[in-house]
Amino acid sequence: MALIQTIGLAKTYKKGKVDIPALHDVTFEINEGEFFSIVGKSGSGKSTLLNLIGGLDTASAGTIVFDSKDLRKMSRSELANHRRFSVGMIFQSFNLVKSRNALENVELALIFGGVPRNLRRKKATDLLTQVGLGNRLTHTPDELSGGENQRVAIARALANNPKVLLADEPTGNLDSETSKEIIEILRDLNKNHHLTVIMVTHDLETAEIISDRIIRMKDGKIVDQLTKTEVL
Amino acid sequence: MNFPDMIILAFSNLWRTKLRTLLTTLGVVIGIGALTSMVSFGTGMQKNVTDAFKNNDLFTSITVTPKQVNIDEIASGSVAEMAETFKQESVPLTDSMLMAIQNIPGVEMAYPNMEFPARVTLLGDSTSIRFQAMPAAIKKFKPFNDMLAGSFFENDTSSSVVIREDALWQFNIRLEKEGEKPILSKEDSVKGVKIISADSILGKTIRIVSLSVSASKIPNALFSMLRNKPEMPFDETVTLLKVSGILKKSGPFGNRGFSGGIIIPIGTAQKIPKLGFSSVYDLLDTKHKAGTYSSIHVRISDLKKMDEVKNALKEMKVGVFSIADQLSEIKRAFLILDSLLGAIGAIALIVAGLGIINTMVMSILERTREIGIMKAIGGSENEIKMIFFVEAAVIGFIGAIFGLILGWIVTKIATFVMNTQFLPSGEDPVNLFYFPIWLILGAFAFSLIISLAAALYPATRAARIDPVKALRHD
Repeated sequence: MALIQTIGLAKTYKKGKVDIPALHDVTFEINEGEFFSIVGKSGSGKSTLLNLIGGLDTASAGTIVFDSKDLRKMSRSELANHRRFSVGMIFQSFNLVKSRNALENVELALIFGGVPRNLRRKKATDLLTQVGLGNRLTHTPDELSGGENQRVAIARALANNPKVLLADEPTGNLDSETSKEIIEILRDLNKNHHLTVIMVTHDLETAEIISDRIIRMKDGKIVDQLTKTEVL
Repeated sequence: MNFPDMIILAFSNLWRTKLRTLLTTLGVVIGIGALTSMVSFGTGMQKNVTDAFKNNDLFTSITVTPKQVNIDEIASGSVAEMAETFKQESVPLTDSMLMAIQNIPGVEMAYPNMEFPARVTLLGDSTSIRFQAMPAAIKKFKPFNDMLAGSFFENDTSSSVVIREDALWQFNIRLEKEGEKPILSKEDSVKGVKIISADSILGKTIRIVSLSVSASKIPNALFSMLRNKPEMPFDETVTLLKVSGILKKSGPFGNRGFSGGIIIPIGTAQKIPKLGFSSVYDLLDTKHKAGTYSSIHVRISDLKKMDEVKNALKEMKVGVFSIADQLSEIKRAFLILDSLLGAIGAIALIVAGLGIINTMVMSILERTREIGIMKAIGGSENEIKMIFFVEAAVIGFIGAIFGLILGWIVTKIATFVMNTQFLPSGEDPVNLFYFPIWLILGAFAFSLIISLAAALYPATRAARIDPVKALRHD
């Protein structure tokens, strides 16, 4: 059975009295352990779709089932739990707390995860070492490069052992060399740690190299679905 | 997220905006400082008054008068009640009545209330002073059981007296205290004020000159009035007695207001010729007969027996008055005073509360993205709300600690200024402020309540922030 399943998913934003459709009739499945990419131009609805899977936003219609649980039926505190334990998110703009250093940023996620204080520091250090930042633990986001910030964000996303890593344009703010490093980390997490990764990107070329499956979106609708063999 | 983590998070968040946090907390500090110093002034006044009553055993005292007097009505200026009192048939307070009162269960002792003024000379200085006649047995009751020097007189006909510490002032005497000599002002030196030890007064003779009406001098006095050269129809009697002890001043306000400056044995006092008027209660008894007392002072063994004794006295048809009856009135008056003072202080704290709201709202605007991040990594609405509540509570708690310290310092300065600038030299220092434990705990509770109430709107607003929008916030 698929890990994530959406059926007829729709999202409409209200601007005054006008309804603006962001997603319309989106149906697809993601299996456990897959590297799944959502590609499309700006405004195609790919980030909205990722936010719905991550429980940051709620759908206007349709069904979205995550690990046999319908996200649309979840209460706000259940959605918070979903964000805390089921998914880890990374963003184009990293979204780190600027006043906290790398360790503290990772620890913040562990605090919400209820990890006892005596274990937090060790776990955060291990995670940051794992992404190659063992020597930058006490540096604040302003003292780190873009690539390093994204690594901190990845370490934070992994803090509470999520089932799925949601990456929203993870290389959007990075140069090509650094982008490759980040993509490599994501691929490693997927292949060697069997973590399901859903990546939103406008870069079809990168998506084609790394993904098991790709969906292409336009104007809030899926216009194309490609599997690994088709990609190759 | 557990509570200790929330506290750590709150401290680190507040530490990031040190200046703003400091200024907001300062508002709470001033609010709590104002509130506690105001209320401590009210409670201090109440404590001073009730302590003065307690130190003089006034709560276990009853005054018996020949007529049933409604003191409340008279005090409120009711002419009708006063007229009613004058019309009433009085019950003569005779020796047999005194005995009967003494036999009421719960009565420790009863003695006639006898006070009279006289001119007194002690160690070369003369003054007019009020004498209070008392039985020797009173020495086991407060405040008469607390002697500064010497001892109470042994029997009711002893030829010795006890002087109250604060009455010595009238004789230009200042007492040395534990080797420390009081410093005299220029004015005191001019008056010839003496600094001596309490022991050196013991055994000294006091010369009492009392006045009594002389029947033989009345026609002469009337005649002299017609000649416009008035002569008084009084005889002067000189009595010499010894000082057996000095009574310690009780309470910050002393006790001269309640009774005479010199205490004389009741039997000795009865022998001294003096004017018939011996206490204010005489005003109520216009048909005062010889051999009767104008009022009787009753001391009960226990405050719980007050009602029992009063009922027994009322059955004797005499008037009964006790300070204990006025206690609830006194408390109510102080409650009003405390509320007024508290309200003034509370206004300062409410202003501080507005400061907290402002700080929190500003903080939310600045931390919108951070709130979005916290939600994205799993922070629930309740946890976000709690983080802001705990931040406000930390401000309230720290504000309360330093506010109490500020309030305490203000009261100490006010007390120092009052005692050094306004208190006559040599008088014991007065502490007008009192910090009971309920005030300290109340200040903490009030500060926390105001802080949490102030955080209610900002915290709720923070919790409801849409994480998707917040993550896009600059």
